[in-house]
Amino acid sequence: MTDTISRGVTVDRTGEAGAFGGELLTINFGPHHPSTHGVLRLIVDLDGEQVRRLKPVIGYLHTGIEKQMEALRWQQGVTVTDRHDYLSPPINNLAYALAVEKLMGVQVPPRANALRVIMSELTRLSSHLVWMGTSGLELGAMSMLMYCFRERDTILDMNEEISGFRMHTSYIRPGGVMADSTPRFLEMLDQFCRDMPGHVDEYEALLTNNPIWRSRTIGIGILSAEDAKVLGATGPMLRGSGVAWDLRRSMPYSGYENYDFEIATSDMCDCYGRYLVRIKEMRESIKILRQALDRLPDGPVNVDDRKMLPPPREELETSMEAVIHHFKLFTEGYSVPPGDVYVAVESGRGENGCYIASDGTHKPRRVKFRSASFVNLQALERMALNHFLADMVAIIGTADTVLGDCDR
Amino acid sequence: MISETLIVEKGVSAGDPWVTVDAPNVHEALAALKTEGYTLLVFLSCVDHLVDASRSWPARYEVVYQLRNMETREQLRLRTFIEGDPPHIDSVHDVFPPANWEERETYDMFGIVFDGHPELTRILMPDDWVGYPLRRDYPVGGEPVEFSEEHEMWQTAPDKA
Repeated sequence: MTDTISRGVTVDRTGEAGAFGGELLTINFGPHHPSTHGVLRLIVDLDGEQVRRLKPVIGYLHTGIEKQMEALRWQQGVTVTDRHDYLSPPINNLAYALAVEKLMGVQVPPRANALRVIMSELTRLSSHLVWMGTSGLELGAMSMLMYCFRERDTILDMNEEISGFRMHTSYIRPGGVMADSTPRFLEMLDQFCRDMPGHVDEYEALLTNNPIWRSRTIGIGILSAEDAKVLGATGPMLRGSGVAWDLRRSMPYSGYENYDFEIATSDMCDCYGRYLVRIKEMRESIKILRQALDRLPDGPVNVDDRKMLPPPREELETSMEAVIHHFKLFTEGYSVPPGDVYVAVESGRGENGCYIASDGTHKPRRVKFRSASFVNLQALERMALNHFLADMVAIIGTADTVLGDCDR
Repeated sequence: MISETLIVEKGVSAGDPWVTVDAPNVHEALAALKTEGYTLLVFLSCVDHLVDASRSWPARYEVVYQLRNMETREQLRLRTFIEGDPPHIDSVHDVFPPANWEERETYDMFGIVFDGHPELTRILMPDDWVGYPLRRDYPVGGEPVEFSEEHEMWQTAPDKA
């Protein structure tokens, strides 16, 4: 029996007759299960050990971020954007900041763009490291977590150095970035760019030719390029199916068009292909970081607009005008011209977009986050059908959903 | 472009091109746009224009479809305005499969009924939730917490002189 799960996407629901002669057993998987990457609940119909029907149930991590944004002023909203995709806060900040800037018609200085690229790539690396560590853990490669979190901690130390926060940095803000980079941050980044390629080799030595890892991922969770496109998948899910679509290259933002890097793709269309894409992306991210560091331009890191960003601290002691601007900005905030705008950036998971509708006041009318996890998760049933239950864990792992991002 | 008869209005907002169509024509317009190359529905959402004095709006709810042409990298935003209690609009999950969950989310958050949707249930909020949280007349609310403003509940210790 073939069945249409979405228009254009058909699946074979029969498979081979299982141990129970085709009689299905419905089980509940999650939401509190160590291998569901957060609080994802799946209702799975099993024929013996094989998945015949799968229904994701989400919403356990819904925090009402879009509602909160409507109650916050434009510059306050940044702190909330940190928290939906909690593995890549600066990329969420960037999507929001770019959207606000596009509505206001503001261009940030070159140094701010370079720092934004640096933070985005560091975040992508740390997000992929968490993915690799936890996915390795789920498939029995226990030591991966230790290796990956070692380097992730270095990235978090750099976050702390540049923004004062390890995780929810709120570093990228409308109008620029929070503060200029410190000399120590640049030293740390230089050292990181030297060390990291060797560490990626280490991860590959542990996994790429590991017979257990290969047998758990090769041929598991096939998602053809056509299905990936029909289901709207983005990020490593799409590139792992051989489609070279990366927003950094396809629709560049923040000066990504000036960096030399390749779009990582794999034609394998399975979990192993998505793993290879992420490994390649980590190497490309290091290349981008090196280029950004070598070519880091001098100059201001914020737009010179006192109606949008507070004046420097020194000025407050001598200038009455600066005090007025400061007071207005922190009591009323700034207002954004009416209109709506959509901006998309590439996060570790795919297209992370921000749609903003403004009614011309000092608070947004509507902020919608287009999260990659929410859309990619709809492809889960396509990938997991007729696989064993244990393989489903590998498939959830390589889909790399962050449930905070999914539920917002 | 889709036939001009469907388009009510078009324009550009902060660099993003958009077209407005009448609500009953949304399904037809989206199907036509898909054949024209806009193969990806980036997202689908709603904006509630309750008491928005900045402009005059044809209706309270604006349903927004962001489309992308993966070949030419063009983007287009299709907008439509609906009214009613509950507001109704045709589902487009058969044209764009990712719309399935997006429509459920929009129903969950704004109470917009997508006619023809296979499973229009709440997706993010609990099934027994009352109200539609992202409507502008739905309060932000909150739970009373300890150490709140209710100082009289707290007895200070008597002075020990």
